[in-house]
Amino acid sequence: MADRTAHVTWSGSLMEGDGTITSVDSGALGPLDVTWAARAEGDSAGLTSPEELIAAAHAACFSMALSHDLAQAGTSPERLDVTATVTFVPGTGITKSALTVRGTVPGLNEAAFLEAAEAAKVGCPVSKALAAVPEITLEASLA
Amino acid sequence: MPRIVREADIDWEGTTARGSGVVRAVSTKSFELSATIAARVDVIEGKTSPEELLAAAHATCFVASLGSELARLGAPPEHMHVRCTITMDEVEGAGHRIVASDISASAVVPGADAETFATAARAADEGCTFSALIRASATVNIQAVLEEGRS
Repeated sequence: MADRTAHVTWSGSLMEGDGTITSVDSGALGPLDVTWAARAEGDSAGLTSPEELIAAAHAACFSMALSHDLAQAGTSPERLDVTATVTFVPGTGITKSALTVRGTVPGLNEAAFLEAAEAAKVGCPVSKALAAVPEITLEASLA
Repeated sequence: MPRIVREADIDWEGTTARGSGVVRAVSTKSFELSATIAARVDVIEGKTSPEELLAAAHATCFVASLGSELARLGAPPEHMHVRCTITMDEVEGAGHRIVASDISASAVVPGADAETFATAARAADEGCTFSALIRASATVNIQAVLEEGRS
C-alpha cells in the first residue's frame, strides 16, 4: 500500500483569490501557485491546475506501466516519450485524456508495441481511477 | 465556457524497475519533476509519483470548489488549507488500484457557522470534478473543520 499526501492553501474567493500547492510528501514539488483564471482561461503561463496535475499523473503512470510490461516481455525500452493532454469543460468536468507515446524499443515491431501500449492504457492505476472520463485515447508509435 | 486543455509529458529512460523519468508541465511550464518506481512504493525525498500528483490535483480541485461554495453561501473564506492523501493498494483480482482519497480541510471564514461550513464542504465535494471522477474507482472521505478567525 502506498499513501501520498499533498497540501494546498487558498486565500480569498475563487475568482479573485489565489492558492498555493504548498508541499507534498516527497518534497518534489511546491510551492506551486494556482488561480481560477489559470485553470479556466487560456493565459496560464507558469501557473498549474488540477487538470495539468492529472495529465502529469496519467503520463507518469502510463509510462511506468508500459515500461514494466515491455520489460516483462523481454523487450526493455530504451526510451519512452509520453504526453497526456487532459480536457476540462467548466460546468461539465473532465471530458478527455489523450495519451501519446513514442518508444525506442530494440527488438520490438510496431504491432507488438501498439498491443503493449494498449494494455498499459487499460491497466495503469490512473487510467482505472479515471474510468469515469468519457474518452481516454492513445496514439502509439515506435521512434 | 471554453474547453480547457492542459498537457504534461514524461520522458522515461530504461525499464520501470531501474529507469527513471522526468515529468513536465507542458502547458504552463510550472513544474519539472523527477519520478521513479521506487518513489511510487516508498516516499523518496525529491521524487514524485502519479499518486502524489493526483493528491495535489484533488486538493487543488477541492479547495477551489470549497471557496466557490462558501462565496455562494455569502461567507467568502479568508483562508483555507486542504490536505489530500491518495492511497493505492493491491486489490485481489484487480491489480493495483487507487482505492481512497482522503481530504482534510480547515478554513477561516468570517461570518460562517459550523453548519454553513459543513454544508459548503458537502457541496464542494459534489461540485469538485475530481471527486466525481475518482469515485468510480476510490472512496472519497471529506473532513472539514472551521477554524477561529485570526484578527
